[in-house]
Parts: sequence; C-alpha cells; structure tokens
Amino acid sequence: MLDAMRSDHARKQRAHGIARAGVREERSAPAQGRWSPTSRSLSGPDRQKADNVLAARQLNRAAGTLAASVLADSAVEHYRGSFKNKAMLTPIVVAGLTLAMSLHGTADKRPVAHNARDTSYLLAAGTGLLGTGFHIYNVTKKVGGFSWQNLFYGAPLGAPMAILLSGLLGFCSERLRANGPRRRPRVLSLPAGKTVATVAALGLLGTSGEAGLLHFRGAFHNPLMAIPVTLPPIGAGLLGATVAGSGECAHRATRWWMRLLVAMGFAGVGLHAYGISRNMGGWRNWSQNILDGPPLPAPPSFAGLALAGLAALELMREASDG
Amino acid sequence: MSDDPRHSPRARNGRAPDVFRPGRWVSMQQYADNEAVDFVIVGTGAGGGTLACKLAEYGFSVVALDAGPYFRPLEDFASDESEQTKLYWTDDRIVDGDNPLQLGSNNSGKAVGGSTVHFAMVSLRFRPEWFKARTKLGYGADWPIDWREMWAYYTEVEQALKISGPINYPWGPPRPRYPYRAHPLNAAARALARGCEAMGIAWTETPLATLSAPRGLAHPCVYRGFCVAGCSTNAKQSALVTWIPRALSAGAEIRDLAMVGRIETDENGLAVGVHYHRQDKWHFQKARNVVVAGYAIETPRLLLNSATDKFPDGLANSSGLVGKNLMAQANQAVWGVMEEEVRSYKGPPSLAITEHWNYADEGKDFFGGYCYMSQGPLPQLWAKTQASAHGLWGARLVEEMKRYNHAVGLKIVGEMLPQEKNRVTLDDEVDQYGIRIPRVTYSWCDNDKRLIDHSIGFMSRALTAAGAKDIWIQHDDTCHLNGTARMGSRPDNSVVNADCRSWDIPNLWVCDGSVFPTVGGANPSLTIQAIACRTADRIRSLARLGEIRF
Repeated sequence: MLDAMRSDHARKQRAHGIARAGVREERSAPAQGRWSPTSRSLSGPDRQKADNVLAARQLNRAAGTLAASVLADSAVEHYRGSFKNKAMLTPIVVAGLTLAMSLHGTADKRPVAHNARDTSYLLAAGTGLLGTGFHIYNVTKKVGGFSWQNLFYGAPLGAPMAILLSGLLGFCSERLRANGPRRRPRVLSLPAGKTVATVAALGLLGTSGEAGLLHFRGAFHNPLMAIPVTLPPIGAGLLGATVAGSGECAHRATRWWMRLLVAMGFAGVGLHAYGISRNMGGWRNWSQNILDGPPLPAPPSFAGLALAGLAALELMREASDG
Repeated sequence: MSDDPRHSPRARNGRAPDVFRPGRWVSMQQYADNEAVDFVIVGTGAGGGTLACKLAEYGFSVVALDAGPYFRPLEDFASDESEQTKLYWTDDRIVDGDNPLQLGSNNSGKAVGGSTVHFAMVSLRFRPEWFKARTKLGYGADWPIDWREMWAYYTEVEQALKISGPINYPWGPPRPRYPYRAHPLNAAARALARGCEAMGIAWTETPLATLSAPRGLAHPCVYRGFCVAGCSTNAKQSALVTWIPRALSAGAEIRDLAMVGRIETDENGLAVGVHYHRQDKWHFQKARNVVVAGYAIETPRLLLNSATDKFPDGLANSSGLVGKNLMAQANQAVWGVMEEEVRSYKGPPSLAITEHWNYADEGKDFFGGYCYMSQGPLPQLWAKTQASAHGLWGARLVEEMKRYNHAVGLKIVGEMLPQEKNRVTLDDEVDQYGIRIPRVTYSWCDNDKRLIDHSIGFMSRALTAAGAKDIWIQHDDTCHLNGTARMGSRPDNSVVNADCRSWDIPNLWVCDGSVFPTVGGANPSLTIQAIACRTADRIRSLARLGEIRF
C-alpha cells in the first residue's frame, strides 16, 4: 500500500515536469551493487529496466497478498472439513510457497526472472485450475447436484481461482522482469499493463461473484454486505476502460478506485470479525465461530487484485509515456 | 439463573425478562385488574402472542395471560431432554376413543410463547385448495377465507420470523423469496432427498423458523439439534423471542403463571373479563374484549367451563360445535439403518421435506394430503420410541441404541378429517386450580387409515431406495391439534366467523388452531400466525367502523 502511494506520488511529480532521476532514488533502491544508490544519472534503458522491476515487484506483492489470503482461508476451511481428502492440504502448501516466493520477489530488485519463483507461480496457477475441478466435483456429486444448496454449502467454486490469479500475477511479474530495458514491456508478447489489468479486472469480477453468492447465502442481512458486490465490479469496469484506452482522467479515477478496493479488502477483515462476534458466544467462542462465521481471510483477496490493478495502471502509464 | 420461573412470575413490577440479554429486563406497561383493557388474551403462543403484538402495535390496550412460565432461553434451557419437559403442558387430562392421543409433548406447550418454544419450526403454507376443501376437493369443510388473502398474511409472518427457506419452492403458486436462505442439509435430510429422487418426486429444503444469519440480538442457528427441547441460542424464532418482545415494546402487558379458569359474562350476554389464578390467588381482569388462544384443548375447555345460566352449554356454543371436530395430524414414521454414519440429531430435525402428496391428487385412495420430512430424534426419545413403538427391551434395546448414529427416518404430517365425535369435553375431575379437566376423545376414520397406509408404503420404498436397511414402521403417533372452535360462514355450522369472532358473543374471539375447519397435511404454526395477523387487521378495521364496542 505504502509503495503504491509512493509510486503514485512519483507519477504526479513527473506529471508536473519534475526530473525523474530524483524520484528514482526513492523508488528503486539498488540491489546487490548493480545500481548506485545515489545515482541521479540513470540512462534511459536503465530507468526503463528499473520501472519494469518496480512494476514486477508490485505484482509480486499483489500475488503475495492473494496467496496470503488463500493460505489462511484454505487452512481454516479445509481444517473445518477435517482434511477429509489429503488433497485438501495442497492449497496450503502451494499458497505457502507462493507467499514465500512473492515475498522474495517483492524484495528482489534484479531485472531477471527467477526460476524457482516462476515454477512456484505456475504451480499455483495449476493448483487453482485443479482445485476448481475438485470443487466442481464436490458440488455436483452431492444429492441435488448443481443447486443453490450445494453452491452455498458445498466446496466454494470460486475459491481456488484466487490461487490461480495469484499464480498468473506472479507469472506476469516474472515475465516483466525478463523484459529488461524494453520500453513497452510485454507478457507473452502481449502488452504487460493491459494484460495485468485484464487479469485483475476478471479477478475482481470473479471474486465479487463469489462474495455475492456467499453474501446472498447470508441474505445480505447487513447492508454493508452489498459493498463487495458493488465496488469491485465498478473497479473492474474502470480497469476495462483504461485497457480500452481512456484518458488521463479515467486513469486517475481508476487509480483511486483501486486504492479504495485495497482499503475495502482490509476493512472487510474487520467487518467479518464483527460478523463472527454475532454468532453464539461471539469471540469468546472463537474456536467455533471462526470456522462458522464469515471467513476472516477472504476479503483481502480484493486488496491483492486491486494492488495488481495499481501495478497495471503504472505499467500502462509507462508504456504510454514511453 | 436468577429465579425459578415455574414458581414465581417474572413479568411484574413494570418489567419483563429480556430474552436476549442474560439477567436483564425490559420495561413493561401494566394494567390494574379493575381497569377494563381493550383486549385480554388467554394464551401467548402462535395465536395469542401474535395477536397481542399486532393489537398492541395498532394502539389497543392489551393484557395477555399465559399459564406457563416466562423462560429466558439463554439461561433456562439445558441440553437435557428430561429437564426440558418443563416446556410441555402436562396437567391432568383424560384421553379415550379408539386411538387415544398421546398428550404432553409435541402437541402442547406451557410457557410464554406457547408450544412455539419447542416446536420443530417447520413453517409451511397451506395448499390454496385446502381453503375450499369441500368445494374443490370434496371433503371436510370450506374456510370462510380466500387463499389469496392468506397468501399475503403468510408473507407477513415469514418476514416477521425471518424464515429460512429454499430459493424456489417446488409446489403451489409462486411465493415471495424467503427472507433468509435455507440451512445446510444434514445426512438425514440427504437421505430423504435421495429417496425422493429415486421415487421421481420433488423435494426441497424445509422452510424453517430458525435463523441462518444473525438477526438483531439473535444468533444464527448453531445446529445444536435440541430444537424440540427448547432453543438455547435464540436462533429459533418462537413467539417468545419475536412477537412477545414486539408486543412488550408496543405497550402490551404479559402475565406469566396466570391460569385463566373462567370467562365472565354479564346479563347482556357480553364478556366482561376473565378470572385467572396467579400467585396462589384468583384475580379478575376486566376487559372490553376477550380473546381465547389456548389451543385446541384448552380453548374449548375454557369456553365450556365458562357456562352460565344464559349459556348453559358453554360460551359461543349455540352451534353445539365447541370442542367438536378435534383434528390431530397423523405422524407415522418409517425408520431404518444406514451403512454410513448419519447422526440425524445434528441440526434442526426436519431439514428436508417433500410436499408431493399434498399437491398430487392422482394415485391416492384417500382425501387430504401429507408431507414427510427427515427426522432427528434425540437419544432419550429414540430409546423410548425403540422401547414402545418398536417393542425392544433389554439387550436388544441396548444393541439397537448402539446403532443410533446410523438411524434414519421419514415422518409424515398427515391430514386427518374433521369428525364431530372427535372432541374435547369436560370431565368431573378437577386439576390443581380446581378447574374441571378436559376429556379428549379421538378415533381415526377409514380415510385417516388409508392415508396412513399410503404414506407408510411410499416412505418405506423411498427409504429403501435411499439405501436404508432393517426398515420398521412406527404406526401410532400424532402431532398438532386443531379444530374444536371452527370458523365458518354461518352461525349454525361454526363457532366463529372469518374474523375469529364468536357468532354468539360479539366481544369474544378465538384465535389459535382451534378455528381451523380442516388441518391439511402441513404443520399449522404459520397458518395460525397468519390467521392472527389477519384477525388483528380485521379488528382494527371493525374498530374504525365502530363495529366493536369499547
């Protein structure tokens, strides 16, 4: 969050014609002696390389936020399911690994892709796909099949998508680093900013759908439950508009909206904590109510995706500036 | 526990228990005995509790009396079946007939909130045609109310109780979305579903009056499973935690441990108040209107016990129908054992239902209908059922109880036809208050037996298809009591009119399951509450028109 704000601050300075080099000092601290910490004279390709690394690190952070959410959420939910199937341990191991790799990536300022991170992000994406398959199987095998009852109370269909998204964002991050000094960074020969923005937008829509289903199960008994089904789709729409090529004004609005979603994601934890308190015994009965109440770790998924959206906006700006 | 609500009243000194906060109180308006209130209501269950709330909210002065204690569910209810028999009406009664009713558990309640404090929360609408059973289906009697009007009142009650129900209800005309979502199915409910799918009929999640999400200070259901022994979390939306708190905040007075023994009438033949027993003394509450809401045994008992020279056969009884047409509902079950663990006692007992045989008219050799639901008997009840209905004892009973976690069953709520010979009369014996006790006479008719046979045959096949083994039949069980003060369109064939107002005494009303002309094959609580809401609306309209004397 702080980095994102710093980055935005930097963007504004640029927009007002302030020299980039001075900003760069703050934004891309050197790593392993490759860059001079006090350099005010980075040449064009170096600056571009540093921009790409910065965006990549932001994506690592977004992927890590999502992975942390998945790690905690799947641990709680699968513990609740008594790890009836040993495969239920998979998302915990994979999300844990992805989180570790993302932390590593966030700290890593080298402009090269990292094999272990790359592999673990692909593993995360694969786990997401496989998990979705498992969850669909779990829902359809129950009596009543593909019914509201089983969508509400069977394995949540959308949940494994979060680790898939984490993997995709991480994968994009590594591709971004591999761009070197290229001005218009690309991911798998697609424009990086737009690609990440699209992934984030689709992720926001999907996560919003998941929240919508589960909040509908809770009958939207608290009006605040409508927030995660209204704000994120608007954010997705704004990201879509920026991908389609809108003006500076829309960019700014999107950026602020993404920040709002980051805040919403973390505030959601607080609201879910309140939701838990409304169950029998409240927080005194935490060991039961954390399992039965609204999932504490779920809302930060929105924050992870919105952070990716912010990184995408930065990439798109760099691309258009270039 | 701050006191024992069974021995000393809690609702007094201007306050009543706050059922949502342990040890706390809410303020309560109080009326003097000699102050004539607009309405004195006898009973605070589905009928009386609802009516007390609505009338108070409409600005009438209301005193509602209940013979039972004012429980605090969060403090007074234990996970102990024996302890919780304190919720039942177990005063002396005599039963006879060919099929004497088993009274005192699933068909009675003695508490503020009435039997809704321990009901199974099943909240079903009647099939529309049942309101014209005689005209459209050829049996029983017509109700003097149109189903479309009832449909609107059902909606009101479902909203008031935040009923948790399915998104789409498979039977009957469209109904609005249930306010809360259905609960997750337990294994017993899934067995019902598998049986229905094998038999090619529809099933759904049962609409239940227990919360699937928080509501105010009430917590969502924790699936403790002791629903019919009293909910200790307030998830159950009984009258005690819904209508009664609303009634209190609207200015009604609730008097617990207040047993009404007699309705007083004057020389003009109008009701002037009730005699009630509280704290070892008899009192007299003056009232401009008296509403009897004591359910299908205590209501006719009170009307009959209030006989005078002017009304020698009891009050509101010029038709001679007070106490007659008592209708229980058939409650037969089919039980079996599954290979895998079921643990049917987890969660509300009846999470899944099929109303197929309420709505299908083909393939029946009987009038009326039945639904059946999954079951979750608690251990003590299960042992009793195995001993009495299954005839097991000693080592065989012990062996059977070891399979408790694997037991699964289906149970009907089946329509029984009104018969005048099924009735409540007065016996010469008196109870602890010195009031003559009721004699309850009940015999099944051939139609009742055919319906029961049909249901047992069908459920046996369904349970077998669901994978159950060692199937056995519980032949003799009934639930819910209705009739005995039926509503109708003429004074000669009914006790009250569509507004629940007695034909004979214009300021005497009956508002509970007693007014049902037919019972249908569905649990009656939602209909009782809908009738009470309608009655309140009608009273308000009549009062505005000057057709009620105050």
